[in-house]
Amino acid sequence: MLKILGGLLALAFGAGFIGSLSGLGGGVFIVPALVIVAHMPMTVAIGASLISVVATSAGASVAFVRDGWTNLKVAMVLECATVTGAVAGALLAGKIPAVVLELLFALMMLQSAYFSLRKQGDDLVEHGDPLARRLELVGDVPDESGKLAHYEIVNLPAGSALMVVAGLMSGLLGIGSGALKVMAMDYFMHVPLKVSSATSNFMIGVTAGAGALVFLARGDVFTSIAAPVALGVTAGALIGSRILPHANVRALRMVFVVILLLIAIEMGWRAFNGI
Amino acid sequence: MPTAARDEDRILRFWTPILLRTILIAASVILLVGLVLMATQSPGNYARRYHAAQTAHFPEKMSFTELVSTAAHGDPHSLMTVGLFVLTLVPLARVAFCFLLFIKERDYAYVGFTAYVLTGLVLGILLGRIG
Repeated sequence: MLKILGGLLALAFGAGFIGSLSGLGGGVFIVPALVIVAHMPMTVAIGASLISVVATSAGASVAFVRDGWTNLKVAMVLECATVTGAVAGALLAGKIPAVVLELLFALMMLQSAYFSLRKQGDDLVEHGDPLARRLELVGDVPDESGKLAHYEIVNLPAGSALMVVAGLMSGLLGIGSGALKVMAMDYFMHVPLKVSSATSNFMIGVTAGAGALVFLARGDVFTSIAAPVALGVTAGALIGSRILPHANVRALRMVFVVILLLIAIEMGWRAFNGI
Repeated sequence: MPTAARDEDRILRFWTPILLRTILIAASVILLVGLVLMATQSPGNYARRYHAAQTAHFPEKMSFTELVSTAAHGDPHSLMTVGLFVLTLVPLARVAFCFLLFIKERDYAYVGFTAYVLTGLVLGILLGRIG
């Protein structure tokens, strides 16, 4: 038993560690790790992953919220969209064949790889949309010289629409969809990248939580798998976040992209061969 | 660091991390105790459940009262399940806290947003139970 448990904890720790270092979260790594390495069915992996994503989001959000990087109001508005998608996704996950889920997972990995390569600088907007201004979706962020720069938000409806998709993918695949959320905020809504990352991390807790609650209520969570996975991923993410400030993330980015592409190929291969 | 002038924001930034950390620590302790008890008391049971998961052979469902009762009697598996439930309380508690704060501050637009999210989370549980 200890061998099995140790293996599972190590797998989860590794997924949390890489997820934290890459900024993509543990979900995109723990689901394929459970499916490919531990030979778990897709639904078991998704249930366990959703719960671990809630834990890592809460752990990482503590510092981001306290230090002011998370834009709480942006998060609360966009959570309406992600929760809608996540509940729908989690309800559909029990009815969609594993082959389709594996294929969707492969596509999401490709999106994450693309996102990792295209991360660029901020494109701040000083005058946001009237709706965004009315909802006080504004903030200040330090620029490269440390001076505070004011930012406002545009394209709230388009960003919200993408958030519904991000929530849907989260509930369907057991991931946080952080790459998609950050892309929606950074690219469409012109939220500064670091604020987007912190805000996405914060929102992931509610998004994955919505999916996790559906899975738990339906009795689709294997406690024996989900409990060690949650502990392992959280520990891995914690250690990863401690190492992150000292790591050469630019150099590691290519390694992450290669890992993501390999997982995408493996998951796509499994889907096409009905494994 | 970014600045935020409003009291509402200051309260949220002070209490949210405390709330998140407290529930996360509580859930982790319950999960860890359950896991250690499982490893020491019934290792064979764990291996059996692990292999059942590999074949997607779902265990028999029990009611919430049964779950809490068996967990209170120190059943490792039930304890871990309770730990997972506590963990999923993190987002629920956080949104509920924001909802109450926005009511107090009479910020009705955000009362609406947080109420919608809370409804979504509760609806998820209800729809999940229906199947």
